[in-house]
Order: sequence, then structure tokens, then C-alpha cells
Amino acid sequence: MAVLELSGLTKRFGAFTALDDISLQIERGEVHCLLGENGAGKSTLCNLVFGVHRPDAGTMTLGGEPFHPRGPAEALQRGVVMVHQHFSLVPNMSVAENLMLGRASAVLKPQDIIVRMEQLAAEYGLEIDPEARIEDLSVGERQRVEIIKCLLGDPQLLVLDEPTAVLQPDEIDALLAICRQVALRGKSVILVTHKLGEISRVADRTTVLRQGRIIETVAMEGADIRSLVRSMVGRDVQSAGSVLAAAVDIEGKTPAKPSGAAGPVSPGEAVLEISDLVYRDPHGVPRLDGLSLTVGTGEIVGIAGVEGNGQTELGLILAGLAAPSAGAIVVGGAQVGGCTPQEITDAGVGIVPEDRHAVACIKELSVAENLYLGAIGKFSRFGLLDKSARRKAAEAMMRDFDVRASSPDVSMASLSGGNQQKAVLARELSLDPLVFLLAAQPTRGLDVGAIEAVYNRIRAARDDGLGVLLISSELEELMAVSDRIAVIYRGKLVGELAAGSFSREAIGAMMSGHAHV
Amino acid sequence: MVMKNPKLARVAQGARLELVPLQVLVPVVSTIIALGIGLLIIAATGASVIEAIEAFWDGMAGSDFNIGASINRAISLALVGLGFIFASRANLTNVGGEGQIAMGGMFATAAALHGAGGLPLGLAFIVPLAVGTLAGAIWGGLAGVLKAARGTNEVISTLLLSFIALPLVYWSVESFHLLRKPISDVSSLPESAEIPDSTKLPLLFPDNGSPLHIGLLIAAIAVVVVWLVLRHSSLGLRLRAVGLNAMASRRAGMRTSFYVILAMTVSGGLGGLGGAIMILGQQFYLTSDFSSGYGFDGLVVGLLSRGSAVGVVIGALLFGFLRSGSINMEISAHVPSAVVLICQGLIVIVIAGSAILTNRKVTR
Repeated sequence: MAVLELSGLTKRFGAFTALDDISLQIERGEVHCLLGENGAGKSTLCNLVFGVHRPDAGTMTLGGEPFHPRGPAEALQRGVVMVHQHFSLVPNMSVAENLMLGRASAVLKPQDIIVRMEQLAAEYGLEIDPEARIEDLSVGERQRVEIIKCLLGDPQLLVLDEPTAVLQPDEIDALLAICRQVALRGKSVILVTHKLGEISRVADRTTVLRQGRIIETVAMEGADIRSLVRSMVGRDVQSAGSVLAAAVDIEGKTPAKPSGAAGPVSPGEAVLEISDLVYRDPHGVPRLDGLSLTVGTGEIVGIAGVEGNGQTELGLILAGLAAPSAGAIVVGGAQVGGCTPQEITDAGVGIVPEDRHAVACIKELSVAENLYLGAIGKFSRFGLLDKSARRKAAEAMMRDFDVRASSPDVSMASLSGGNQQKAVLARELSLDPLVFLLAAQPTRGLDVGAIEAVYNRIRAARDDGLGVLLISSELEELMAVSDRIAVIYRGKLVGELAAGSFSREAIGAMMSGHAHV
Repeated sequence: MVMKNPKLARVAQGARLELVPLQVLVPVVSTIIALGIGLLIIAATGASVIEAIEAFWDGMAGSDFNIGASINRAISLALVGLGFIFASRANLTNVGGEGQIAMGGMFATAAALHGAGGLPLGLAFIVPLAVGTLAGAIWGGLAGVLKAARGTNEVISTLLLSFIALPLVYWSVESFHLLRKPISDVSSLPESAEIPDSTKLPLLFPDNGSPLHIGLLIAAIAVVVVWLVLRHSSLGLRLRAVGLNAMASRRAGMRTSFYVILAMTVSGGLGGLGGAIMILGQQFYLTSDFSSGYGFDGLVVGLLSRGSAVGVVIGALLFGFLRSGSINMEISAHVPSAVVLICQGLIVIVIAGSAILTNRKVTR
């Protein structure tokens, strides 16, 4: 019996049709995955069901009754709950206090909440200390609190929007197990994801969305993963090969070495040498604790690790945005530790920063202005800008790097994430001299086509003799692109694997600090 | 794809057609509405509305002298407004125009009284202008240094620096060993001696009695230079980048602290120049309250211009003429000049309010 039935749902934002004639049934007790690339309409669909947006056409029924929520409050009242990508928890309050928020009657009864939490822990394995403060919890634990918050009211339908994007491998396993438990107890789960690996492990049925339309809904028993990928991307899987496999996280299908690439180049002389790098944050907490690393010319070294183990700080220091507390960084023979960003650029270092919006580009400025952000003076005569020369140069660069925008003069904000990242890569790879590239989380939030382009650029840079350091939280990405993977844990490298010996299990164990090689 | 949809194409066209007039229309209509309300208030005070309007018009533009005086007022307002938009290009809000005027006027007076008077080749007034500009630049730059070094919010620091500058002027005209004129036969007011004739700004039309002076040319040059720098120079782009995203600008190799200090220094310098011109062009001696709200009016001019140098010119002229008209209205028609201040406030509120409206239309 269908819990939720959508028929003919359409949602437009201005001229853009986000969802087009969506008809779908969610059965009682099933885990239903919504699969699709960025911008396919998954989140919009969730927001319609949760009452954040209202459809322009079409009807919804919940448990057989008409369902047209005018806001999240009404959806909640009808038993529809949602965990958003960004958590809505108060960091300096305890778990129990957070759970009481929003359901506060005139009299707060902490004891009731704690009893209910014990029930949920027994039913679903959702164990958590009610007294713990949110800010002391890991991301996975915070998500667990969000799920408990949702389950407190015994809902009919639980919607999870990209819940695994922020989790490490073992936390993902735990989350998927919880989803199954929820479904077993007769509730329904809508799980939004773009990772096929997860779907094949948890879903009863999967609906593939592309450009706002439903391509197909399939039962997962005996389903062909490759045909799902084809539906999602809209083209044949073979053409993309390992890139796609890495992007959608199909487990076990990733070749140890990308087939299309030039193969492991024997690394030449060291281009980046980091020795005993120490960084203490303003509170004196050591974020990097004696990290040493060498990257040679013509090799891609991947840094694997759970987020928050020093990768961000390493990226900032290499970019010149933070000064190391101790240790040395040498690029091509020149000491650059603690140098200004300009000096680092002059030494031949290109940086693709982790945070595209805060560091890599200025979204209010035009594409051309962003492409020449570090070389504003290049197109200036007597201090006045020669905008037409800059536009011409920008157009050429956009062609070379396949940055798609209607003109170099449109704002960076109007570009898709993939095109923004291609523009950043274009700028950094056009630096002269250039001997080393840092790519920090270079494919975060990008769709499959853009991911492929980024990988190809990074590989091409490697083949041109650059040393590349790839920092990523996506294991599949590191395994697909790197020639060597080093694992960072608590600010130190705890192990290293050479190409051909990559294994998820070994890396995963090192990432959680359990094993050493 | 978009243009194939006829409805959309019409919407897009409509937006483009509307865009230009709206930005002109909105301030004009809001000014008229505000003045209309002002007339109602005048009527409520019991004064004759016709008389008040006549006096108001006469004060603004009734004679060559009045027109010149109005434009002279607009010059200083425009310079402060230009300073405001210069800083705001770097996302800095300089509300310290009053203090920068005060410093500029005070030091220009000092230079004019002590030494500059005997200089040849126009240096007699150029040197005091430069000294006043420098004083304002230091006063604004101080806020920039505080911002760059300590992260101090420039709204607070420029405001507090004004609270220091105004008493400094008062002190200087109170103290005989500073700028107060020696006690002579009749007058012992706390004010400076009149500056030498050679240091007064030359008049543009000395024959027809208009007080209009070459400050107009200086302001015109400032308008063009600020417009060029903000819209068409690499410096302007750097200021904008630093203001929008300091971290990304730093990564791109810009010295963000330098640009913060520079923006505030130039901004303050323009205010200081405005103050110097007030003394050398029209007032000729320093009094403790010579800046009398010009800094705050200039701030409003800058705010209303929404970053455009042309907008500053229009706003400065509007406020300059309003101020002249209101002074005359108070003298001849016995209408409190506060009514005009109320009108100014109304104009600001209506324009600022309708800006939200136009912005929304444009971005949709």
C-alpha cells in the first residue's frame, strides 16, 4: 500500500522547470532511493514533500488522504519528517535539550525525552548520550541526533537528503543499517543520493531523476547497476570509465589504475618537500603534528583522511593563507613555508583551494575578472584596465578549458559549480612558471561530466611533469587518480600505499587510526 | 531557448525598458513626495505656504549669488560623498565625514594663517588645500590602520574619530596659542582670524557677484578621477575584490591590508579637501561648528548615490540647494529650517525604501 503518492507534480522556479510531471508511489516499509546528478531535481522533490515549496501543478496524497502541506510544520504534523544536508541543531546545548526544541509544550519534561531515547536506542540501535553537548559530537553523531529528532514523533515517512555526503565509511554503514531498521518497522524512507554503491546496499526500489523528469523506477532485486548509471547520466558508462565509477562510488568496480591514463610515471626529482610541518591553531591545538611528505615531478600523490585531521590546514599553509608553526616547505629548491601567497605563486605553485566560494573565486566578479584575479595588472595601461584585451584573453582561456558561460562578462555566481571549478583550474594551470599543483577537494559538489574534466586536467598536468598533491575525502576518487596515496590521521601521515596496492579496507583502517603499514 | 518563449522575451524586454527610467524616476518622485509632505508640515506650522515656497526658491536660485552659494555648498557635500563611495567600493563604510571635514578645515586654516599667505603662483591657496586634504587623509587612514591591524569596525572608529575631531576644532579656536584670533577691540568670539585674501579660493565669475569659486573645478576633477578609478582602473577592481572577498583576494596575491588603509585614506582625504574648501572658499575663518552637519549630509549623499559618481553629483546639488533654500525660508518666511531637515530625512527614507523595490525588480 502506498504511503505517499505523487501524481503529475510540476515545480518551476522562474523560467526553470525543476520538476516536470513527477508521478511516484512510495510504499509502506520500503527504502526508496532518489538517484540523480546535481540539479536533477532530487532536493526540490524532497522540499515539495516536506512543504518547503509548493508544487505548481499535480497532487499528493499521504496515507490515502490529500496532502498539500503549506509548510514544514504541516508536513511534520502529518508524519513526514526530513533530515536536511545542513543540520539544525544548537551547538552549545545538550542532545536532550535539542530534542526538546520545537516540541516544547509549556512544561518541559526531560525525563520523557530520555525514556523515549532509550526506546529508540533499543529499537534502531540509535545510541547517544543525552547529556552530551552537540559541539562535542562528530558529524555522524550529530546526524544521528537529527534522525532521533525525526523519529521521536513516530512518523510515517522519513526523508534523508544526501545524508552520506558528510560521513566516513563506517558511519555510512551504520546509517544504511538504521534506514533498514526504520523500514522494517513499517515506516518508509526516501533516501537521496548520487552514489550507486549505497543504493545497491540499502534500497528496495530506486527512482532515477534527470533534468527534472523521472527516467525510470526500478526494483533493486536483480537490477543492473550499469543501466542505472546510464539512466542517471544520460550516456553510456563505457565512455567515462573509471571516472564515473569513482564519481558514483560503485564499489569493487574501480580498476586500480585508470585505463585511459598514461600509467604510473616514474616520479622524477622532488618538486615539493614538506618536512616536520607543525601547525597550531589560535587556541594552541596542534592541527598538523610533524607531517613530512615528498611529491616528485610527474606524479599525483593523494592524501586520504577523515575530514578534520589536518587536510584543510595543510591546504591553507600551502596556499600561503596560514603560517606554519614549525617545519619547512620547499618547492623546486625554494623555501616557501610562511611566504605570502604572491611569493608562493611566483615559486610556481598552483592552488585549487578546498573552499571554492570563500577562497578560489569571487562570485560577484565576472568570469574574466576571476580568471585574471592574480594578474589584474596584466591588462592595465597607466592604471586603467583594458577590458577588451582581457575579454579576448579570457575567451581563449575559456575555450581551452571548456568553461561554459555565455560571455566572459557574466558573474562567476551564474556558472554551475563544474564550470566555476574549470575556471579555477584554468587560472591555476595557466600560471607561469608552474611546477606544482595542489588540488584540495577538487570535485566536491560537481556533476559527473565536470568531475571527468577535472580528473583529465589533473592527469594531463601530471603527464606534463607537474607534481600534484590531491587532497580528497572521496576514497574512490583518490584510488582512481593517484599514483600514490598517503593517509593523514591527527595531523600526521600514518601510512602510504603505492599504485596497484590500493585497498579500501587498508586505507579505511588507517584513516580511523587503527592500523599502520 | 529563453527567447523562443514570447512571454519571457517580453518580460526580459520590459525589464530592460524599465531599468533606465526607474533609477531616475524613483529619486525624482520620492523627492517630490517628500517636498509635498514638507509643504503640509509648513501649512501645519501656520506659516503661509506660498510665502514659504517663494522664500525657499529665492534662497536656492533666486539670484546669481544664491545659485553660487548653493553650488558652493554642493561642492563640499560632493567631495564627502565621493569619499564615501570610494571607501564603499572596498566594502568599507566611512561615516566619519564630519570629523574629516573638521580636520581638513582646521589644518587648512592653520596653514593659511601661518605661512601660506605669502606664497606665489596660487600656492597661497593650493598649499592650505593640500594640508587640509592630508589632515583628512590621516584621520580616515587611522580608521583604515585600525581595521587592517586590529579588525576594528570602521563604522565605529570613524564615528568616534569624529567625536575627537570636533572638540579638537573647538579647542583650537578657544586657545589663543592655537588658532583663536587675538582679542581686539570689539570681538572676542571663539573663532580664528580671517584668512589672508591670497589664500581665499579665486572666484569663477568675479564680475557678477556670484560667490562661486574654483572649488567647482576641483570637485569636477575629483568626480572624474573617482569615476575612472572605481569603474575603469585596476586599482578599482582590486578595491572591489578585497571588499567582496578578502580571503580570495589574499590568495590571488593582493595585500588586503594595504588596500583597506588606502581606501580609507583616500576617502578621508576627500572629506578633508571638502573641509578645506569650506574654509578657503566661503567661510574664511574657522569656528567651532563650521562643519555643521556637512559630513553627515555628505554621508547621505554617498549612500543615496549607490556607488555612482554621477549620483553623488546629483545628490550633492539637491542637498546643496535644499540647504540654501531652507536657510532663506527660515529668515524670510519664518518657517523653521527643521522642516527642510524633515524633508531631507523623508527623501532619504523614500529613496532608500524604493531602492529595495527597484533592486528586486532588476534581479528577478
